[in-house]
Amino acid sequence: MKAFNSTLAAFALVLAASSASADPIKIGINQPLTGSVAASGNFITDGAKLAAEAINANGGVLGEQIELVVEDNKSNPSEAAAAAEKLITRDEVSAMVGAWGSSFTLAVMPKLEEYGVPMVVETASSSKVTSAGNPWVFRISATSEMEAKAFSPMVGQIGVKKADFLVVNNDWGLGASAEFKKMLEASGVATGMVETMDPAAQDVSAQLAKIKSSDADTLFVTTGFEQLSLVLKQAKAQGLDRRIITTGGSQFPDRLVEQLGSAAEGSLHILFFAPWFPDAAANPEVAKRYIDAWNGKGYDASGLSDGFRGYDAVTALAAAIEKAGAPDREAIRKALWEIDVKGVNGNIKFEKAGVEGSESGQNLPNVYVVQIKDGKLSLPNL
Amino acid sequence: MEQLLQHLVNAIILGSTYALLGIGLTFIFGIMRVVNFAHGELYTFGAYMVYLFSVILGVNFLLAIAIAIVLGVLLGAAIEYTLLRKLRGADVDTTMLVMIGAWIIMQNGEQLIWSGVAKSIPTPFPEEPLSLGLVSVAWSRVFVFVVAIALIILAQTIIQRTRLGKAMRATFQDRDTAALMGININVIYLATFALGSGLASAAGALLGPIFIVMPTMGNLAVLKAFAIVILGGLGNMKGAAIGGFVLALVEEFGAGYVSSGYRDAMGFLLIILVLMVKPTGLFARSERIG
Amino acid sequence: MTTTMQWLFVAALAGLPLVMHDQYFFHVLIMMGIFTIGAMSLNLLLGYTGQLSLGHVAFFGIGAYTSALVSLGFDIQITETYTFVLAPKPAWFSLICSVTLAGLCGWFIGKLSFRVRGAYFVIVTISFAEVVRLVALNWVDLTEGPMALNNIPPLATALPGFDSGPLQRKIVNYYIVLGVAVFSFLVIKRIIQSRLGRAMVALRENEALAKSVGIDVTRYLVLAAIASAAIAGAAGGLYAHYVRIVDPDVFLFIYTVTMVIMVVSGGKGTLAGPVVGGVIFGLLPEFLRGHTVPEVQWMIYGALMILIVYFLPQGIVPAVNKWWTAYRSKRDQVVATNVSLGRNPQEQEG
Repeated sequence: MKAFNSTLAAFALVLAASSASADPIKIGINQPLTGSVAASGNFITDGAKLAAEAINANGGVLGEQIELVVEDNKSNPSEAAAAAEKLITRDEVSAMVGAWGSSFTLAVMPKLEEYGVPMVVETASSSKVTSAGNPWVFRISATSEMEAKAFSPMVGQIGVKKADFLVVNNDWGLGASAEFKKMLEASGVATGMVETMDPAAQDVSAQLAKIKSSDADTLFVTTGFEQLSLVLKQAKAQGLDRRIITTGGSQFPDRLVEQLGSAAEGSLHILFFAPWFPDAAANPEVAKRYIDAWNGKGYDASGLSDGFRGYDAVTALAAAIEKAGAPDREAIRKALWEIDVKGVNGNIKFEKAGVEGSESGQNLPNVYVVQIKDGKLSLPNL
Repeated sequence: MEQLLQHLVNAIILGSTYALLGIGLTFIFGIMRVVNFAHGELYTFGAYMVYLFSVILGVNFLLAIAIAIVLGVLLGAAIEYTLLRKLRGADVDTTMLVMIGAWIIMQNGEQLIWSGVAKSIPTPFPEEPLSLGLVSVAWSRVFVFVVAIALIILAQTIIQRTRLGKAMRATFQDRDTAALMGININVIYLATFALGSGLASAAGALLGPIFIVMPTMGNLAVLKAFAIVILGGLGNMKGAAIGGFVLALVEEFGAGYVSSGYRDAMGFLLIILVLMVKPTGLFARSERIG
Repeated sequence: MTTTMQWLFVAALAGLPLVMHDQYFFHVLIMMGIFTIGAMSLNLLLGYTGQLSLGHVAFFGIGAYTSALVSLGFDIQITETYTFVLAPKPAWFSLICSVTLAGLCGWFIGKLSFRVRGAYFVIVTISFAEVVRLVALNWVDLTEGPMALNNIPPLATALPGFDSGPLQRKIVNYYIVLGVAVFSFLVIKRIIQSRLGRAMVALRENEALAKSVGIDVTRYLVLAAIASAAIAGAAGGLYAHYVRIVDPDVFLFIYTVTMVIMVVSGGKGTLAGPVVGGVIFGLLPEFLRGHTVPEVQWMIYGALMILIVYFLPQGIVPAVNKWWTAYRSKRDQVVATNVSLGRNPQEQEG
């Protein structure tokens, strides 16, 4: 028993010591580093680190260095909430970036309100994130509705007649299928079945067999890179002859070409940054700086199209902290409303969204569509 | 009709790898009385070894699979020698706890080495699927089926036709008498665990390139292997082979005609049902091997 | 461990909020407490009846989901025209529901799985947990599947006047968990000292003999399963109201393994064992953090498990008891030569 009490005392000392030396400004990064969507989460974390390095090399923020505290949410909502709890109460971060998926982000949001911590949402696309009336949420990524709207001019151009959906059965996939369905029907295109798959499922042949029996000419797929590569591979093996369009921005088209060859041919991918065409970016000079930094580190080039999310999120937070004048959570929240910074995707500026009186911030990002044609990536005109 | 045939073909191919997994596990249990929780990690190990040799080191794909199987056999032998040898005669629960510990260490070791990001292994087979009239099947899956069946036959031959196999069967019947007859039990146990591990590693090496390779891929594999073994009766090799195909059929048709979401649940529901009706498994009056 | 020491330990824990004011500190203790309750309940089956139930997390998860659903409210369409609707209920009520439903599941699974023993039993229990996980994952209308049940009402608001900040809420939660832990401990202690407990131990030691002297083996095993599942359900309910989010991964095998490690390391079949194991493995990650990455942390867990099976097969508590008894009897011998009076043998746990 004595041993236990002294352990507790030692434990208390460790805690006291860790909270006393909080000199740098801490930003928590809550990303999936393991699990079903880990590829994207790791790239976003790399992008965030690049931004922090660039800022620190220029003297940091408010004369202090930025320190990123990274927690793995294991591609799981409960783990995302637990990671947020740790970042807030243990590491006492001033603000956070997170949490990749819509379901993970929604899981973190009650913690933001409970402790009063602002979070920049870098990937999530479900409308629920900004409609919940949570004033601590600032989203730089596009909603599924924005994606669908940006894609709508292409529907007639490529001649979609009837579309089916194969989506991951969480807030992201279900939200995307609902928004794209709405957009297609408004454009006079028929929609067929919506098949779902578990985020960790590896064998989707049963769903594909069902889809094969429909008379649609197009299949919209929403999921992370790992599962997407399996879907394309298995679609090819089953002889599914459809135009495939993917949404969400975590598809790594160059890697799909490399790994799948003809199974990826002809597919269209909705992205938020097309690193193969930096001149087409809204802020080409920022985009090139980011691409150079990325390549300089020797990171995998196929991660560029996702890594920018972390880069832009940290850039936005740094600007807000500078404007707030102190790494104070409430002051940062207020300052986030005032920023207008150049990011890789475009200018980051938050509009009010959701419940009146406790609005969430929503950025209006740019959307790109990339097509795989003859084993190469091209940028069809929108 | 077309859909039905497609499901049947899918099930037979999947069943062959399930049978590999199940035979390895039931073999180890039958002879050594060890419930091998690390079985799924040997499966994962096999997949990562193919990734290492084929993708990173650029070794020929077929050779990489052969290397993965051999390394699986060696790893199995190493586990038996370091962890299980000292626990001879311990009860089932004790060895089970040790194997759970080994499972945790191996899985996290894999994650540490390979990171949590999934890996993909390209295969050298043609991208156009093999068309069999109404159904089509990827060449990579045809390959998996052929190799899996060959390995099952090989394992069966070792047990039925070699001196080592004879000694294994004798040990299974009665360990003490076998020892008295001059059979070196340590050698038999080492060979058993190594062979069972090699089969698990082979299953991973074959399925890794078809799906994606992740540190956690063994978790469901080991649970399914348990299901297969229970279906066939613990320690019954033929039962495990049949159990593998039964599980694949139930899963595939369950996913196709009942609900794709409950695909993985089918097997576990099946075990619960089997044990309610026939607690010793479908194919066993009593436990036997060979 | 004597009763006095047990109460001193509880008093020390109860006094902690007077000296500690760190939110994260209490977060760690609350999570440790919840899993320790789970481990104590597992010990009833694993330690006292000797049945290695590796599907234990199913009861924990069922408790968590029940508590979440009852406090959030839900509807199930039963027929085309009839939909069962449950309005949100207070957190304390949902906690009672979680205990009840988990207990019922314990009865059902006990009836089913105690038909087999040994390796078969282990695999049936694992299968059960896996089926429940897959149902939670796929019954999206009820459970929200992979989207998780979010915004579960906290228990802490049930006590008015305390809700003034995150630290106060943590402390209230801490006392609730401590209270449930102490209550569970006392319940388990009563069970162990009752006829049921003696029957359980008898059949663990020799099932055939227990049967031959007229103990209805299955009946006692099922009773133990009900009690064990109900307490695990309480732990799950506390978990749901504390972390305020539940998703199907709560049923993952690794959580059962965590509880098994706590029981086995502390000492299965002893009352204090799971508590000691729970404290060690609840605090260990916090000590290892900063020195290692999470993967290495888990590898240390695995290695410790193997080492304990090798070197302390009975666990820490029996080992300490043995050492203490040896020490005491040595000292007593000296006393005895003077007083020439025999002492009662050492009080034994469980």
